[in-house]
Amino acid sequence: MAKKVLNVEDDPDIRTFVTTVLEESGYIPIMAKDGEEGSRMVKEEKPDLIILDILMPRESGIKMYHELKRNPSLKDIPVVMLSAVSKRTFLRSQVALTEFGDETVPEPEAYLEKPVEAEDLAEIVKKILG
Amino acid sequence: MKITTMLFVSEFEELWFDALQSLMGLRKAGLNHVVFLHVIQREKVAMKRGAGFLKQEERKLREIADIRFIDWAETLFEEGMEVGAHIAIGNVVPKILSVAEIEKVDLIVTARTKRGKLEELFLGSESSDLLRRTVRPVLIYNYQSQSGKVGENPFERLLLALDWSVSSERLLEYTLALKGAVKRVEIMHVLSEKSIGKLSKMEAHKVERENKRRLDEVCDVFVKERFDARPHLYIGNTAEQIEKGASEHRATMIVLGTRGTSIWKEKWSGSVSHALAESSRLPVLVVPGEVK
Repeated sequence: MAKKVLNVEDDPDIRTFVTTVLEESGYIPIMAKDGEEGSRMVKEEKPDLIILDILMPRESGIKMYHELKRNPSLKDIPVVMLSAVSKRTFLRSQVALTEFGDETVPEPEAYLEKPVEAEDLAEIVKKILG
Repeated sequence: MKITTMLFVSEFEELWFDALQSLMGLRKAGLNHVVFLHVIQREKVAMKRGAGFLKQEERKLREIADIRFIDWAETLFEEGMEVGAHIAIGNVVPKILSVAEIEKVDLIVTARTKRGKLEELFLGSESSDLLRRTVRPVLIYNYQSQSGKVGENPFERLLLALDWSVSSERLLEYTLALKGAVKRVEIMHVLSEKSIGKLSKMEAHKVERENKRRLDEVCDVFVKERFDARPHLYIGNTAEQIEKGASEHRATMIVLGTRGTSIWKEKWSGSVSHALAESSRLPVLVVPGEVK
């Protein structure tokens, strides 16, 4: 059975791009347009992989990632970050959240800075999901 | 009533990152989430004869806003803040109201914005329009001092103007929630020259004494909460005296309530909060007193 990939992204153009890449690679894409909707869909759909943007309305990818990795039932879902926010900022933000008393969380499986080529995205997803 | 989420509305011409940073003192009062909003004015991308909807222009403007917001967000994310962003096309005030509702913000920060002359005459400025229509506190942020320098902490010394109306209670509650970000509060009430002029000397003294007593009571509430607070009673034109008091006591921001008057009433009888929001040299924080 084809694996499910959740893409959390507020930009409709990028959502369309990711959907196309995932479908052409044989996966089932599921879409959420912000972190809040994304968090809900992770619990409902239990996807095999999450492709996560950072700067979005309602809830950022930074907060969503941090909560995901602290949730024992969801922390093993692999995450590919896909954002225009730099990896350095992402890692620093996770450290900053830890300073506020939160637990340390592991790094994501992959970090892609926008814009990304379709082949690169497809390759990363394939590498993680097989 | 904590301020945890702030909506920062920027057209990039008036409010820059230094303005946002100057508000970070609010973190001491519980701020942990900043939401950016940039509204692309409809007329900039609207249908043009022979050219249609300017899709390319819209894409360009969105891209510019996105790049700026990402740069700002990176700094805040690294400090452990939560950040969100909205880029929308349309009329500014309805978009602000809609995003403020979606994100459940505790404070809206916007620059003083002007409309065209004809629109101003009939509708007032966008700031006034926003103040009339929102139930949320609004900071009209005129963040540059007369010397052109950015005020480092606008919440440092507040001038709290009270009119003893129902809105004053919410105003007090909101100001007390700013504990941590505020160093000093100058609590002020302005007596109207007209009303005092009609009274006998004895009656005028009674009114003065009663207002001083009420100011002292409010002052005690703040002192109990470990604020440095001072009472001040002024007389004269309310807006002018508030501005004068702010200057005399070197306030960094004016804080006042609003009763929610209609556009016509406000146009002809005047609203102190709207007048100050329009013209004060200082940032003006307006806390609506009633649900609209």
